[in-house]
Amino acid sequence: MAMSTRLQRLIPPAVMIAALAAILGATDLVAGDYLQRIVIIIGINVILVASLNLSNGFTGVFSLGHVGFMAIGAYAASILTLPVHLKAVNLPDLPGWLQGVAMPFLPATLIAGLIAMLVAFAVGLSLMRLNGAYISVATLGFLVIVQVVLVNWDQFTRGARTFAGVPAYATIWNVWIWAALTVYVVWRIGASAFGRDMRAARDNEIAALSLGVSVIRSRLLAFCMSAFLTGVAGSLWAHFITSFSPKSFFFTQAFSIITMLVIGGLGSVSGSVIGVFLITVLSELLRNAERGFDIGALHLPPIYGASQILMAVLFVLVIVFKPAGLMGGREIDIRGILRRIGASRRGKGAA
Amino acid sequence: MKTRLAIVLVAAAALILVGCGGKGGGNTIKIGMLFNMTGAQASLDAPSANGANLAAKEINAAGGVLGKQIKLVSFDGKSDAATIGTAATQLAQTEKVVAMFGFSDSDMVMAAAPTAAKAGIVFVTSGATSPKLPDQVPDYLYLACFGDNVQAAAGAEYAINSLKAKTVYLLIDKGMEYTLLLGKYFKERFVEQGGTVVLEDNYQTGDKDFSAQITKLKGQKAKPDMLYIAAGPDDVGTIVKQFRDAGVKSPIMGGDGYDTPLLVQVAGKGAENVYFTTHSLMDPKLGTDAVKKFIAAYQAEFKVPPENAFAGLGYDTVKLLADSIKRAGSADPKAIRKALQATKDLPGVTGAITYQEGSRIPQKGVTVILVKDGTFTLAQEVVPQKVPQP
Repeated sequence: MAMSTRLQRLIPPAVMIAALAAILGATDLVAGDYLQRIVIIIGINVILVASLNLSNGFTGVFSLGHVGFMAIGAYAASILTLPVHLKAVNLPDLPGWLQGVAMPFLPATLIAGLIAMLVAFAVGLSLMRLNGAYISVATLGFLVIVQVVLVNWDQFTRGARTFAGVPAYATIWNVWIWAALTVYVVWRIGASAFGRDMRAARDNEIAALSLGVSVIRSRLLAFCMSAFLTGVAGSLWAHFITSFSPKSFFFTQAFSIITMLVIGGLGSVSGSVIGVFLITVLSELLRNAERGFDIGALHLPPIYGASQILMAVLFVLVIVFKPAGLMGGREIDIRGILRRIGASRRGKGAA
Repeated sequence: MKTRLAIVLVAAAALILVGCGGKGGGNTIKIGMLFNMTGAQASLDAPSANGANLAAKEINAAGGVLGKQIKLVSFDGKSDAATIGTAATQLAQTEKVVAMFGFSDSDMVMAAAPTAAKAGIVFVTSGATSPKLPDQVPDYLYLACFGDNVQAAAGAEYAINSLKAKTVYLLIDKGMEYTLLLGKYFKERFVEQGGTVVLEDNYQTGDKDFSAQITKLKGQKAKPDMLYIAAGPDDVGTIVKQFRDAGVKSPIMGGDGYDTPLLVQVAGKGAENVYFTTHSLMDPKLGTDAVKKFIAAYQAEFKVPPENAFAGLGYDTVKLLADSIKRAGSADPKAIRKALQATKDLPGVTGAITYQEGSRIPQKGVTVILVKDGTFTLAQEVVPQKVPQP
């Protein structure tokens, strides 16, 4: 009996991993570059949104500055992986010990994540003491600081100029391994005692304090972990896009991630995934449709910008009718679904 | 929840079907057009797209190329690198275009051009003037406009020869690759000709207050003969106005970022005695014959005069590609690239285009414009004697 429950517990994750691997394998083998790009973009966005959820959803620290960590991850990893001959041309003023380094993707990504985490720790020590809107404004300030540093630190970042020549290391596989890992980590934290500490601190700070929950400690831990994963996503993004400049990591990007998070539902990991999936696929479909098309004799001219307007209307509708987002802080209960499928099968078997 | 999700899915499926419809016939040559119709770049890119559409219409009305009609397959880049990369992939793989063109910003070009190169087709940028671009995407990335080193050199030579300037104050926007390079090239050519830079200062894109820079300039003992301010279109008006209001009367010079109605609208009288280098003078009375014809056609098609020189650049780029296809004798991407490289003295609204052996930046004349009584007037057409290395 004990053995079978343990096995039963392993079934949902195993089913999910198998399903994901099958989908990715099919995309990798059959689909063209276009579809593969969309799958990669979804994967990177899943990491960005799920990790932001850790901070904004679980602890209630509504950060507007996470794109700053994405920028740090992108630049740090790209400096590390940039081929040596391109370093001599594009970053001639790098210190000598970096000049000869061209790292593989994985260590560079890990280091980039760690750097983002260290910065988050330094910033978080003071910022996590703030509350509500003050924390949002302060993190927005952090984003502006990152922007100014990137533009002025020519030696490492080429300033405002395009950082080009980053090797295109991001593939469906490495992106989605990170994405699956992120979802798993965030989901496990959410379900752990530690995750309950975070929520307690979010919902009622004084009550949480009186029960011995260290509000600042739990917020800081969530903020740092979230920054690590966001930094990783930044590295993946950089090795997918391959050329970028500081303005790639500013308000537009920040708000697009926050929109996906809020639409999916703050505090729900499955909500994050659903939000990313819906918004990425829908905006992609609308982008193709806004170019105009023919239905029979009816010819619709291109209306550029229509996709953004429609998406905005959709967001407003979601916020009006489902203020807590599509998932409203709940999770999809995969075990429950599997159990129900199992139960109905058993029911049929008995009948 | 479930019904709502179902509605969304059905709508999505409908959109997919719609998106797949409307494919062109066999008797057309498809060229990919990528501009940012929305977002930060739209003020430059939308006129370029209009110009390009006008050129395609004219070519098709005259019988097309090689007996086939030209079809511009277009996506909105939305001023977003990820979207642009995806759109470029669609053009290369789904639409199977034979060439691509577009964009007025090097970041945007770099998001699309590598995809084109990977598919073995050329990408011609209509308005991104960074001379460093072609080296980033070997063999397949071409400029239809002059490089910033050319316009900065033309500005420096005009300053020395015609304005008789010996000393200059340099102000550079540190927030853009375009302004950084422009300032650097100007300084190089100006100093090379015996001029001196008395003071060099900088600011950030979007800054609204320039009093610190002005105070520093006024604190100089030796007053510079002129000011060279490398700024983007959104900032030029504000900067010129504040310097003039503070009593700075010397000539101010800049690059094609000044080629916007905002210069006179924002700076008003302060815009007098401002010089800038650009692609052509878009004026129905003072422009060249090609410009006059273009303005009339543009006005007839879109009910507005061309917004800026980028309209002309979009127009010239399509004509350039059509000419290459014609000379190639086929719509084979390899043949098009060979013919494009061999382009010689092709007349256009923004000047004649010639690609030297091994260079993918055209040799083009530069138009120097002087603002007089609130209008842009032609100061001189300059072909620089010497151009700084990219």
